[in-house]
Amino acid sequence: MVLFTMIARVADGLPLAASMQENEQPGRDLQKYQNQAKQLFRKLNEQSPDRCTLEAGDVSFHYLIEHGVCYLTLCEAVYPKKMAFGFLEDLQTEFYDNYGRKVPTVTRPYSFIEFDTYIQKMKKSYIDSRTRRNFGSINTELQDVQRIMVANIEEVLQRGEALSALDTKASNLTSLSKKYRSDAKYLNTRSTYAKVQPHLCF
Amino acid sequence: MSSTGFNSRNGTGQTYANGPSQNPGMGFNIGSQAPYSPMPTKGPVAPGAGLYNSGPYQPGPPAGPYQPGPPAGAYQPGPPAGAFQPGPQAGPYQPAAPVSSYHPPPGQPPLTRPPMGGPPPTLTPPQSSSPAPRMPHAQATPPPPAAMSHNYYPNQPPQQSPSPAWQYGAAAPPAAAPHGAMRAPPSGPVGNHVGPMNPAATLLPPQPSPSSSAGYAPTPLAPVPHSTAPGSGPGPVPLHGYTQPGNASTPPPMAPHPYQPASAPYGALPTGHAMPPMGPPPMGNATPPPPKAEGPSAGNGHQAPYAFNHLENKMAGAPQSGPPGRHLGHYPSLPPGYNNTPASQGAAPPMHPPMQTAPSQYPPQPQLYQQPPGGPGLAQMSSSLASLSLQGNTPEALRVVNLLQERNLLPAGPIPAPTPPLPQDLQKVNCNPEVFRCTLSSIPQTQSLLNKAKLPLGLLLHPFKDLSVTLQLPVVTSSTIVRCRSCRTYINPFVSFLDQRRWKCNLCFRVNDVPEEFMYNPISRSYGEPQKRPEVQNATIEFIAPSEYMLRPPQPAVYLFVLDVSHNAVETGYLNVVCQSLLDNISALPGDTRTKVGFITFDSTIHFYNLQEGLSQPQMLIVSDIEEIFLPTPDSLLVNLNECKELVQDLLKSLPHIFEKTMETQSALGPALQAAFKLLSPTGGRVSVFQTQLPSMGVGALKSREDPNQRASAKDIQHLAPATDFYKKLALDCSGQQVAVDLFLLSAQYCDLASLGCISRYSAGSVYYYPSYHHQHNPAQVERFEKDLKRYLTRKIGFEAVMRIRCTKGLSIHTFHGNFFVRSTDLLSLPNVNPDAGFAVQMSIEENLVDMQVVSFQAALLYTSSKGERRIRVHTLCLPVVNSLTDVFAGADVQAVTGLLASMAVDRSVSASLGDARDAMTNAAIDSLASYRHAALTIQQPGLLAPACLRLFPLYVLALLKQKAFRTGTSTRLDDRVFSMCQLKFQPLVYAMLMIHPTLYRVDDLSDQGALNISERTIPQPRELQLSVEKLCREGAFLMDAGSVMHLWVGRSCNPSFLTQVLGVPDYAALPQNMYQLPELETAESQRTRAFIGWLREQRPFYPSLHIIRDDSPQKGDFMQNMIEDRTESALSYYEFLLHMQQQISK
Repeated sequence: MVLFTMIARVADGLPLAASMQENEQPGRDLQKYQNQAKQLFRKLNEQSPDRCTLEAGDVSFHYLIEHGVCYLTLCEAVYPKKMAFGFLEDLQTEFYDNYGRKVPTVTRPYSFIEFDTYIQKMKKSYIDSRTRRNFGSINTELQDVQRIMVANIEEVLQRGEALSALDTKASNLTSLSKKYRSDAKYLNTRSTYAKVQPHLCF
Repeated sequence: MSSTGFNSRNGTGQTYANGPSQNPGMGFNIGSQAPYSPMPTKGPVAPGAGLYNSGPYQPGPPAGPYQPGPPAGAYQPGPPAGAFQPGPQAGPYQPAAPVSSYHPPPGQPPLTRPPMGGPPPTLTPPQSSSPAPRMPHAQATPPPPAAMSHNYYPNQPPQQSPSPAWQYGAAAPPAAAPHGAMRAPPSGPVGNHVGPMNPAATLLPPQPSPSSSAGYAPTPLAPVPHSTAPGSGPGPVPLHGYTQPGNASTPPPMAPHPYQPASAPYGALPTGHAMPPMGPPPMGNATPPPPKAEGPSAGNGHQAPYAFNHLENKMAGAPQSGPPGRHLGHYPSLPPGYNNTPASQGAAPPMHPPMQTAPSQYPPQPQLYQQPPGGPGLAQMSSSLASLSLQGNTPEALRVVNLLQERNLLPAGPIPAPTPPLPQDLQKVNCNPEVFRCTLSSIPQTQSLLNKAKLPLGLLLHPFKDLSVTLQLPVVTSSTIVRCRSCRTYINPFVSFLDQRRWKCNLCFRVNDVPEEFMYNPISRSYGEPQKRPEVQNATIEFIAPSEYMLRPPQPAVYLFVLDVSHNAVETGYLNVVCQSLLDNISALPGDTRTKVGFITFDSTIHFYNLQEGLSQPQMLIVSDIEEIFLPTPDSLLVNLNECKELVQDLLKSLPHIFEKTMETQSALGPALQAAFKLLSPTGGRVSVFQTQLPSMGVGALKSREDPNQRASAKDIQHLAPATDFYKKLALDCSGQQVAVDLFLLSAQYCDLASLGCISRYSAGSVYYYPSYHHQHNPAQVERFEKDLKRYLTRKIGFEAVMRIRCTKGLSIHTFHGNFFVRSTDLLSLPNVNPDAGFAVQMSIEENLVDMQVVSFQAALLYTSSKGERRIRVHTLCLPVVNSLTDVFAGADVQAVTGLLASMAVDRSVSASLGDARDAMTNAAIDSLASYRHAALTIQQPGLLAPACLRLFPLYVLALLKQKAFRTGTSTRLDDRVFSMCQLKFQPLVYAMLMIHPTLYRVDDLSDQGALNISERTIPQPRELQLSVEKLCREGAFLMDAGSVMHLWVGRSCNPSFLTQVLGVPDYAALPQNMYQLPELETAESQRTRAFIGWLREQRPFYPSLHIIRDDSPQKGDFMQNMIEDRTESALSYYEFLLHMQQQISK
């Protein structure tokens, strides 16, 4: 089942549209996943794979990048991947038709929030098992879905952090070595004084 | 401290869920406690002490010892109200006699004027006056010189201690006393009051005749208890004190010399004088009043006459006071003067010369009503004197007004908010007072100074006001919003730029970097001028928020209507109006393509409506299990308005008919609200509840608590607090899910608004009340309901909002008024915000504001617009800091003070008692004027003196006392009273003021003279009249504008042309009893009248209905009850109230 859907601009991670989480899932903190999604948007760039599934425990993020826009949805892990990508493809087509040209120019977050109405509608049709049969075509189109890269959300989000951690560690090292140097100097002088002092006394 | 108060009020800080449960039983009280804390505390200590201190005797009661005693006798604030009623002294000033003996020209002119003839005469009168009735004032006068100087200081500290106890000052400190403590005090004061009250009551009535002595007895008595302490009021100590002044004045020659021009009008004259001889001691005392500073330099004796007056003044004071026994002796003589207004007034003037000059100096100000034609000589003289001595630089706000003498205090038009004395460039960009104003437009430097002024310090806000019409609202889209890094203040016009790259926060004084983007100015397209950015040019601005300001994607506009369809509701016929109104305005509901709507109806069961796209007609789903409410279907109860418009319209058309024949009388409001909450909690939104009776089933069922027979007679009003905390708890749950509940109450019966109102109060909704609504019997109400609904449905709305008010370091905000929930200490959670909501906050000064020229306040409102944009509206207000009491008074904003006072009193009447709240308001007026008289005035003249800026304060306080919310002795339905309280708390100040003090115009002689011209319409501007029957005349027609209702009273022998040309009836007899509209006639008179009424209506969001009232109409009572300057069987007239105040002050 689709839990929430967000659409963002890849270039700067600006959220363009989203669907409200309709039914509060008891015991599931959607807020946390939303924040992860936002972080993810900020990490994505042109080099990112344009289709990817990121696992996060019993739920998975699926995203699709097309024309500089990222379509992301959070589903339960058991939800069929091809359905999820079919859903995203649908959104992509509709969104691009309606707003595609305006995407690069907007500055306000959620400028196309009205797209939510369409997302809701699509979501409903994907939830309803009876209509699933209607999507037989999708099944064939998306054969290659198996080849979509799978990664772990934590890893993706922390990839950057590991680098920055390295960076801070390196700079820590630098400052520590500097401190060592000055301390050593200070000790040296002190020992020199210590040596000289007795002589002076005499 | 205050924070604890808040927490308690909210239950718990952040987690709403816990909120309610934590303080279950305490419901409302808790909420209201924080606010009241100050007042109750005051109760016990202050009643006596506070008053007393501020009294003329301030000095007298040298120091502490005095305080303990007084409460007993000294304080009879309560009683006065009661005591006076008997109204022996009613004689002089009584509405009953429309001609009001108040302005008996005969008595006064002679009395006033003659003595004033010239300096020499002036000299004599005082003496003569001294024996005269006005003794009390007289004695009031003397103390200041020496005695005061002496005692002032010692006295000061004690004075402060009580003052915190007083409503405002205290705020924070008293809060320290936990609830328990607070609880207790109220009873304390009550007891106290009662004590004095009785004696007073018994004593005063007789007062008229022999009583005089008796009447005054309380005062003499008072000293007795005190005398246990060293200073027995007027007794020995004062004697001592007075004699000293006497000495001081002994060097009469001195007097002239120190007389400084500037100080003349208001300055601390006596002090000034005393200074030279007295040396240091007076110095100390002199500190408070600013003029003192000028004292030394003042030595220009050139205005001999003036000085002379002054001297005489002094003399008058000294002799009288000299023998203390004497003024005791005078008391008896006083009442006559008291009874006999003219006399006392006549006597007063002689002392006044200097002061009288002031008025004449200002041409615009209302003429003294007793101004005799013959007076010019003196007037000229004194005015020239005044101009000499004053050099015309007394601010108008400080012009001394003797309220007992000046009758026509109302300005011709609306009262503008005072302009703070700020540098021009700051004032130019300052926030509009309609949006943001402070009770004191000059902020006192220290809490003790604030305490001395005895005025409440607070802010009044109208943050979401519709601005498009009056002001332009700059909107800024920027990826980074520049804010202070430590206190998160938004950059504003009052920050200072240290250089191009750094700015200093005006609230916490941290130096911040100017971000790179800010260097570019998108408007002028230039670089390197951060000062030119719109954020730095406008005190009111709106930002489009970046995504950091969103916890979740912006919610759509969601509207849920919860309609009562019980038998009672169907009877009233309101359903038709609601459905029709919705049908008419369905396309005008604010929103975008995501907008959702839903409907729930309820009687003893809950009915849902499935409006799923594709259905041929709406489907009603009935849930009869009201114990455990559930949603019958997961979706389609809230539907997209755009996609299901037809179904929605079908439903609206059929809804009134579905229930036409219902016989179900029960009402399960509680469960219906729970269902609404369940339905909206995933998204948030607005619930509009229409209710017509007391909820009787399921959770939240209520019982009638009102005994109609007790309405008028009850000593104290019960049941102002909610009966159950169900509604509050539910409201807090709603608030947590961004759901606001607006309540429309249409009922002829008692509905327990005190309990029901909580649902709106804590969820930031609003309450609308249409008493006795009926589609046939009450057409005016129906028209108003229709118009209000239209406004309600189409006005702007903000969702999932929060508001935070910040202020400069040193000030602290401690109590909030309005409808909201306080999340964390200073964050107001507003699930909805609407343009008609007002807020107020109380502040205290925690750290002295030394070295600060100005302080700033910033209100930031973050909300989601109905179009799904997250926006931040920021208002910044900048005010100067002053260190003299005179300046504090000069900056007082009487309307704001009244508004804040009303909110505080509402809280107080719920937490303590109505009687307490009434006393507190009366005392507020008395204390502030007493403090003005004793600390800010140098010339001690008799009479009830007020600075011009506060001249309406007693009138407004009296008006509050006569408001439905606070009145006693008149039959008032409990719901009416509670609703009036709600309105006082959440209406923006402009509208609340109209409700408190309606405006009265004579409209049968409208002319185009001085008319406004607005877009080719000519709108006549009649003068505002005082609310007194004396202003009415049979030949006229008068329009009273009371905010939500207008009355047009037509006199019995009304001008026939008005009847035919405007009302369209041949004569008075043909005027129907019920008339709610003016016919649209083509005559000039009709057009003028309609233009005027239309113009009044345009100025407010909700539609005031018009009632045309014949002189013999049963509705006349509604009109007359607003004649607040007149006496009623249970309330004082304005003049009596002033006398009461004067008596309290001079005690």
